[in-house]
Amino acid sequence: MADIGASREVVRENPYDDLLRQRKKSKKKARIKRLIPLYMMMLPGLIYLVCNNYLPLFGILFAFKKIDFSVGIFKSPWCGFDNFEFLFKTKDAWIMIRNTLGYNIAWLILGTIIAVFIALLMNEIASMPVAKAIQPIICFPSMISAVILSYLVYAFLSNNNGFINTVLLDGNGINWYASPQYWPIILTIVHFWQVSGQSSIIYMASIGGIDKGLYEAAKIDGAGRLKQIRYITLPLIKSMVILMTLMSIGKIFNSDFGLFYQVTLNQGMLISTTQTIDTYVYRALMEMNNIGMSSAASVFQAVLGFLLVLISNAVVSAVDSESALF
Amino acid sequence: MSKLEEKSSAPKFRDEMAFRGFSLVVLLLLVIFCIVPFVLMLSVSLSSETSLGQYGYRFWPTEVSFAAYEYLWAKRLTIGRCYLLTIITTVVGTVGNLVLTSLFAYPLSRKDFKQRNIFAFIVFFTVMFNGGLTSTYIIWTRFFHIKNTIWALILPGGLMSAMNVLMVRNYYSANIPYSIIEAAGLDGASDMRVFTTIVIPLSKPVLATIGLFAAIGYWNNWTNGLYYITDTSLYTIQVYLKRLMDNIAYLKSSNNVVESAALALRSMPTESARMAIAIVAIIPILLVYPFIQKQLVKGMVVGGVKG
Repeated sequence: MADIGASREVVRENPYDDLLRQRKKSKKKARIKRLIPLYMMMLPGLIYLVCNNYLPLFGILFAFKKIDFSVGIFKSPWCGFDNFEFLFKTKDAWIMIRNTLGYNIAWLILGTIIAVFIALLMNEIASMPVAKAIQPIICFPSMISAVILSYLVYAFLSNNNGFINTVLLDGNGINWYASPQYWPIILTIVHFWQVSGQSSIIYMASIGGIDKGLYEAAKIDGAGRLKQIRYITLPLIKSMVILMTLMSIGKIFNSDFGLFYQVTLNQGMLISTTQTIDTYVYRALMEMNNIGMSSAASVFQAVLGFLLVLISNAVVSAVDSESALF
Repeated sequence: MSKLEEKSSAPKFRDEMAFRGFSLVVLLLLVIFCIVPFVLMLSVSLSSETSLGQYGYRFWPTEVSFAAYEYLWAKRLTIGRCYLLTIITTVVGTVGNLVLTSLFAYPLSRKDFKQRNIFAFIVFFTVMFNGGLTSTYIIWTRFFHIKNTIWALILPGGLMSAMNVLMVRNYYSANIPYSIIEAAGLDGASDMRVFTTIVIPLSKPVLATIGLFAAIGYWNNWTNGLYYITDTSLYTIQVYLKRLMDNIAYLKSSNNVVESAALALRSMPTESARMAIAIVAIIPILLVYPFIQKQLVKGMVVGGVKG
C-alpha cells in the first residue's frame, strides 16, 4: 500500500511538471498560431511597402555609381562621391537650392499669416449661415490637379489670347512664359490661390475650440473685438502656429513638383526662378538622362529632409511633447 | 436700467458689427478670387474660336458657341477612352487602397499583438525617409517593368499611405473596445471574421474619409502617367490634358517651323475645346466635393497621427 502510495506521489509530481511545460509550450505555439491571421492581414500591405518604399531605398546606392548603360545600371562601377562633386560644381545646384529654400521660407511665413488671418475672419462670421457656403468654396482650389491648374493659369497668361495680355494690357502684353522675373510673384499668387483656404482649416478648428466664456469675460471688462483677438485668440493659437511651422520646416527641401514644373509649362526660359530640387531631379532623369546627377540631387534632398524632420521633431517634443510626431 | 445697459452695450455692439462686416467683405472677395479662374475657363470653352482670336479670353463670351463641346462629342472615342481609364484606375486604386490600409491597420491596433510597434515603425519610417524619384523610378521600371502598363497608373505611390494607416489604426484603437474583439474571439470567431463583421462596420467614417481622398488622389494623378506612360492608349484624362498642353507650349515656342506648326495646330483641339476638356475633367470632383468637404474638415482636425 505504502509502496504504491510513494510511487504514486513520484508519478504525480513528474507528469505535473511535464504537463506545465507542455502547456507552456503549447500555449506559446497557440499564441503564434493565433497571430498568424494577423500577420496574414498585414502581408499585402507589407509587400506593397517593400516594393514601393523599401526597395527604392537601395536605389540610393545609384548616387554612388558611375552609371554606364552598356553594362547596365546594377553592374555599373562605384565612384564614391563623384556625382555629388559634379553636381555641386554646376550652377544648377546653387539655383535649385536657392529657389527651393527661398520659396519655402517665404511661403511658410506668408502662409502662416494668411491662414491665421482667414481663420480669424471665418471665426467672426461663424454664426452667420453664409459661412457654411464660404468655407467649401475657398477650400475647393486644393482639390484640382496641377494640370488643370496650369490650364487656369494659361487662360490668364497666354501670350496671344490670355486675359491679362489682351484685356488688361490691351495688346502690348508681356511674354509671360519667357520672362523669369515675374514668376516668383505669379507662383506665389497661384500657390496661395490653391492652398490658403485649406491651410486655414486647422486654425479655424483651434479657434473654434477656445472657451467662449473667455470672450464673454473680456467683453464685460470692456475689451473690444480687436483686443479680444490680440489678448485671447492669438495667444491661445500660438502653440498651434509653432507646431505647424516646425512641421513645415521638416519639409523645407521639398517642393510642389506640379506647381514648379507643370504650371510653368516646363519652359526652359523660366528655369532661373522656377527650378527646384524636385524639378531638377525629374529633368536630370528624364530629359538629360543623367541618372548619376539626378540621384545625387535626390539623395541630397532625402538626407537633409530626414535630418530636418528629426531636428524639428526634437524641438516639437521639447515645446509640446503631446504634439510630437514620434 | 435697461436704457443704461443699451447705451453701454451699443458701442461694443457696433464694434462687433464692424468686424463682422469687414470679415464678410474680405471673405467674399476671397470667394470671388477663388471662383474667377473657373469662370474664365468656362467662358473660354463657350466662346467661338474667331472671337477668342479677336478679343482674347474674356469673362463673358463675346460670341457664344458650343463648338468646343461639339468637338468633344466628335472626339468622344479618344476622350471617352481616357475618361474610362481614369475611372478604372480610380476605382481599382481606391478599393485597393481601402483594403490594404484597413487590413494593415487592424493588427497595429490590437493590444495583444506584441510586435505592433515594430510594424508601426516600419510604416512610419517611410514618411521620414524615402529613396526619391530617381531610385523609385528605376525600381519600378527596371525591376518590376511596369512602364506602359496599366499597373503604372495604379501601383507607384498611391496604393497605401503611411499617414492613412496610422490614422485608421488610431481610429480603431479609440473607437473599437478591445473587450468586444476579445469576446468575439472567445465565442470562436476568427480574426478575419471579427475584422469583417465588427471592425469594418464600426469604422465606416474613417474609411469613407480615406477612400474619398484616395479617389481624388487617383483622379488627379498625372505624375505616374508622366513618369511611366508613353503609350497614348494608356493616357488618363489628366495625362491627355498634360500632353495637349505640351504640344501647344512646344509649337508656340518654335517659330522656325511655322508651317508644320500651323498644320499640327489645325489637327489639335481648338483653344476653347481644350478648356472644355479641362472642365469635363473637373466635373467629377465637383460632384463628390460636397461629400468630401465635411470629411476634409474632420480629417484635418482628427488627423492627430502618432508613430
